[in-house]
Amino acid sequence: MPSIEVQQLEKSFSGTVQALFSGLSFSVDDHECLCLLGPSGCGKTTLLRLLMGLEKPSSGTVQMNPALSGKMSYVFQEPRLIPWRTCLENVLLPLELTSQNNPAARSRAIELLEKIGLNDRLEHFPDQLSGGMQMRVALARALITQPKIVLLDEPFAALDERTRFRMQDLLLELKARLDLQYIFVTHSIAEAVYISDRILLLDNTGMAKDIRSIKFSGRDQSLKLTPEFNAVVKEYSGLFSEMEDAIKVSDAAQSQ
Amino acid sequence: MHKFVILFFSIAWSVQLIAQQAEPVEPLVLALNWKPEPQFGGFYAAQVQDYYHEHNLDVKIIEGGSGTPTIQMLAAGKVDYAIVSADEVVIAHGRGATNILALFATFQTNPQAIMTHAERGFQSIDEVLDSSGVLLWQSGLPYTEYLKKKYAPIKVFTAPYLGGIGSFQNDASISQQCFITSEPLTAEAAGLKIKTFLVADSGYNPYTAVLVTSRERWEKRPAEVKGMVAAVRSGWINYLNSPEDTNSAMQALNKAMSVKTFSQSAQAQQALIKTGTTRRVGEMTTVRWQTLADQLLDLKIIRQQVSADNVFIDL
Amino acid sequence: MMVSAMRIWIADKLPAWIFLLGLLSIWQWVVVQKWVAAYLLPSPLQIFHTTQEMWPDILAATLSTAQSILWGLGLSLLIGVTSALLFFSIPIARRAILPFCIFFQTVPIIAIAPLLVIWFGYGQPTVNASAFIVSLFPILANTLTGLQETDPQLKELFRLYKPSRLQLIFKLQIPSAIPYIITGIKISAGLAVVGAIVGEFIAGGGLGSLIDAARTQQRVDLVFSGVFMSSALALSLIYTINLVSRLLFSRRPYLRKQ
Repeated sequence: MPSIEVQQLEKSFSGTVQALFSGLSFSVDDHECLCLLGPSGCGKTTLLRLLMGLEKPSSGTVQMNPALSGKMSYVFQEPRLIPWRTCLENVLLPLELTSQNNPAARSRAIELLEKIGLNDRLEHFPDQLSGGMQMRVALARALITQPKIVLLDEPFAALDERTRFRMQDLLLELKARLDLQYIFVTHSIAEAVYISDRILLLDNTGMAKDIRSIKFSGRDQSLKLTPEFNAVVKEYSGLFSEMEDAIKVSDAAQSQ
Repeated sequence: MHKFVILFFSIAWSVQLIAQQAEPVEPLVLALNWKPEPQFGGFYAAQVQDYYHEHNLDVKIIEGGSGTPTIQMLAAGKVDYAIVSADEVVIAHGRGATNILALFATFQTNPQAIMTHAERGFQSIDEVLDSSGVLLWQSGLPYTEYLKKKYAPIKVFTAPYLGGIGSFQNDASISQQCFITSEPLTAEAAGLKIKTFLVADSGYNPYTAVLVTSRERWEKRPAEVKGMVAAVRSGWINYLNSPEDTNSAMQALNKAMSVKTFSQSAQAQQALIKTGTTRRVGEMTTVRWQTLADQLLDLKIIRQQVSADNVFIDL
Repeated sequence: MMVSAMRIWIADKLPAWIFLLGLLSIWQWVVVQKWVAAYLLPSPLQIFHTTQEMWPDILAATLSTAQSILWGLGLSLLIGVTSALLFFSIPIARRAILPFCIFFQTVPIIAIAPLLVIWFGYGQPTVNASAFIVSLFPILANTLTGLQETDPQLKELFRLYKPSRLQLIFKLQIPSAIPYIITGIKISAGLAVVGAIVGEFIAGGGLGSLIDAARTQQRVDLVFSGVFMSSALALSLIYTINLVSRLLFSRRPYLRKQ
């Protein structure tokens, strides 16, 4: 059974003439890592939020596998850490709010923070951490509720390149260790190809191009230097540019 | 021929008389420290009965209100004569304004009093000060300092007196300062049972409604000053005997007080102006002035000794 | 380490002290030179001597006023924060009642003080009420603003976990509002000082009574004494608030660091 089933999804915002997308249908398989890719304004963040339930569709449905109910987490584009809580307390927040906070949970949180390399910053406050560290705490917070699916909205966009690569590898590592499924949004083609099994290319009318990427044998940063990898990236870049040109044309037509 | 001479001289004499009386007399300003009320009756009577004119004086009376600085006005030369209370005169001297000279003391007994509800059963001022209620008075006035010192420590809670009998009326635990000629009459008219105590009975008894002028004026125009005092004295004698005409005149200037209250108040103040021992209305003695000066020195209200002889002249 | 911290503290406060000294010197000079009459403006030295001489009375009056201020301010804090929470949680209450709370802000105390005296009696109860009435609104308004200014991104984060109303209020909105509440308290502190003294002009007691009596006696030096003591009260109040908020909130960055 697919993890998520999207049927005839339409979303338009009041005040805009054109719908962000309409008639969008796809499904996400179990354990599949999906990436939503597209130029800015195409609605990829909105789509992610619709999948999470942070927004309501204008029409159409988003259905989730009942076995996965309550097992979905969301990571925002900004870390959104509570400034007056320590790292550990920030990670424990979801459990506090769902009355699951207990000593066992606390040691789980500490373990999680250790796994992502922040065990010496448990009592630090967000303003004492770098951007990358804050993002890691946000990730740990998303994982404390033991989800099966994690939705991420351009989580590494604000980080420098080196940190970004490290975070990508961290995601892959956690995926393996904790048996996770990701749906994430990015505008970096290389990142999309590196992390995901499948890419959904969105343009400004929402019509997607559904691409199953090549399964690479092993994934680490050196992969990005292989010709195989770069060929795929080149192919998708071509598609991407086509889409961008199409957008430019239709924008120009509209403003006439 | 003789008839013409007599006629001529008669006419000349009459013309001269008329000319003398038409001679422009310098207008004098007398400043009161409150509105026209019976406490100033004699000064107005002198006007109504023309006593000022008889002494060749053209006196204009200007009324005052709360906090009118009559002593400063006199010191600054803005007015020629003023009505003040005796302690103000001594304090002015104590601060170096030695130009003030007292001429006539209307009230031989100071009308300041404490008004209480009869049901409290107080027998004296020190009982009031020792009670657990509230006393409304104008803190800072010399008599309050005197009472605070004489009956220290005082237990009663003191709060500002802002005029009228409003708070007093509604609350039996409240006592308030008053002028014996004023607030008690209003209270009784409102049906309240009251008991009043004169501050003078506790030993602090400054002259009140004192006529003052500058020493300079006395030295330059002694005749005028003497005339003024004489006119005022006559006015007060007249007012003590038959205040009705003067009361009507004053009431026309101060509509806030009823005719009935004017006459009651005038009646109530008689014993304070002409006491059992008063020989001349408005008289002043060295002993009284010196006692006051010593009291004010003792209360540290003035910092240096003031000698009574510099302060007044009994005309 | 301590010495350099001291040096920094002195360097920070020094300009203010120098300015004050300069101001006092000019003032003293002006009075000594008789450019202004001494009975209108006494010299700083004269005021100092008067304060020294009347110190027991001045101290007793100051303490009495201080007590009323603390009562009034404390009540404002309690009722102000609680009302703000109420108005924040129940929008219809806010729409119905808040516009009238502006009454607390604009009413001239000297006009309603006689009414207060009838209800609360002479002395401290009325003075406490007076201090409370003038200091309520800033705390209420600031707390309400603080609750409404919660970061919408954090609110969305919370919503992911479907929190209860109370959880949202205590774990997010009140901590977010803390900087605003502190600002409100500081504004209210100054107002409470004035409110208490004005209340005392009508109901008696404390510095208000002292200043009123001084006025009657035309002792301008004593009036200034009283005025300076009331300023000192306000300053020490603000200083204490700063100290307490630092102690309570420095461990955790509630107060946004720019």
